[in-house]
Amino acid sequence: MHHVVVERWSRGASPLHARDARAKLLVLLAFLIAVSTTRPQSQGAFPAYAALLAVAIIAARLPAAALVRRAMLVLPFSATFALITWLGGDPLRALALGEKSFLSGLAALLLIATTPLPDLLRGLESFAVPRPLILVIQFIYRYLFVISEQAQHMRLAARSRGASFRASAGALGVLFARSWERAEGIYRAMLARGFDGRFPAFGAARFRPSDAAFLLLSALAPVAIRIAL
Amino acid sequence: MHIPDGFLSTPVWAAFDAGAAPAVGILARRAQRDIEERSIPLMGVMGAFIFAAQMINFPVGPGTSGHLVGGTLLAIALGPSAAAIVMTAILAIQALVFQDGGILALGANVFNMAIVGVLAGYLPYRLLRNSAGIFLGGLASVLASAGFALAELSMSGIPFPPRILTVTLTFFFVGAILEGAITLAAVRAIGRLNPSWVRNTNQPAGRTLVVIGAAALILAVAGILVASTHPDGIEILAPAHSPAWLHAPLADYQAHGVESPYLRKAAAGVAGLILIYAACLAAGRSMRQRSARPAPCVSAGVNPDQHAPRSG
Repeated sequence: MHHVVVERWSRGASPLHARDARAKLLVLLAFLIAVSTTRPQSQGAFPAYAALLAVAIIAARLPAAALVRRAMLVLPFSATFALITWLGGDPLRALALGEKSFLSGLAALLLIATTPLPDLLRGLESFAVPRPLILVIQFIYRYLFVISEQAQHMRLAARSRGASFRASAGALGVLFARSWERAEGIYRAMLARGFDGRFPAFGAARFRPSDAAFLLLSALAPVAIRIAL
Repeated sequence: MHIPDGFLSTPVWAAFDAGAAPAVGILARRAQRDIEERSIPLMGVMGAFIFAAQMINFPVGPGTSGHLVGGTLLAIALGPSAAAIVMTAILAIQALVFQDGGILALGANVFNMAIVGVLAGYLPYRLLRNSAGIFLGGLASVLASAGFALAELSMSGIPFPPRILTVTLTFFFVGAILEGAITLAAVRAIGRLNPSWVRNTNQPAGRTLVVIGAAALILAVAGILVASTHPDGIEILAPAHSPAWLHAPLADYQAHGVESPYLRKAAAGVAGLILIYAACLAAGRSMRQRSARPAPCVSAGVNPDQHAPRSG
């Protein structure tokens, strides 16, 4: 499955990987807000934002071509609405829509490609995201692979028998039943191991002076571009 | 429909982020109360199930197929609060890991699909408690989510010419019917395996609730249609201006005056949202009153006629 690649990227080693998740989250927010509020008329700003991302990709030692290809996943949606805007008589705005959505998608991808999801979620938790939501996200991410594989087997089985609406509903029902029973088993196992509503973290995250410096400099760059260009 | 970053204007995404954050906080607390201790693993695994279930194709006619969206099915199995949290978690993973939907637009996406989508899917089921309710739930869930997404994009100044809007709405309507049919088929299949997984549907509902439910549903659909078609009617009359000012901060709204067709468009959109919200609130309140009472009382409760003048 294709997000295995991102998972591998996020375990890499680079100055950007080493930064605290909270600092990276705040920098991403600054970047996204700067891009989002840029006027379509300020076309000069978009190459500058792209240059910032290029520097980050190089610093993170990530394969640029693969990253860009993944970020292009956003383009079908963007292209559709950009086309509508173009037909609506505003080509400049249409261009800006495409540029903004692509740059924002690439920036978000950079965050997840340099930060393992558990670290990212711990960072989000310290920004007061409700703990049940964090735990549910962790569980979904953990069992996504497992249950998707089951679903793929069932899809293959259904195809080889000849597909029908009823058969698909039956497959869905069985998948639901297996998932539900799995959840109950997991809960019992967690109770037996003394789960107290919190996953143990290996090595507490520390916000170091280098993280503060990174946050200050990197968050300032997109803001400066937004104001200057 | 996951809205990526860059499409919503600053006031729109900021407002929806500000609104969705406390709503998710409240829902998280309610969800934990509703399905007790085992909630977290159950919610998590069922979230992974919804992700995986979207891979199973449902053949409809030659060469086409659809798949489950899942908000209604989750609400029926886990209750609306837990379903909303699971959908929020799914949207967060899609935005963070799969670049499907934006980060700044997450509030709007959560509002459309996790809050409105789940509520619109749960309400008909809760009121009718039969197959029709499940089908209408799936239908209303997709229609409401898509309608809100269109309204948000439209408020952000993406122009929707009437012809494109007609095509889009037709597309959504077909998708909504499909979601209703798939949800119903799935709930039946699950019920055959273990009836306790889908919360009991054999209690008959009072007539008042049925009427209120139908009224709320019609109102919701009418509100969406008004919100998304009416402003475009205005747009045909007015010459198309470049809506670049929508990118400016909120203060510019006043500066450009009430005469702007875009402001009226936004106002029509907001009015639609408020209308639907009020309908949901009224229906929810009457439901709570009912469940607090030991015996069903048909004559009491909210009079559905009081909504009637607004829907025209």
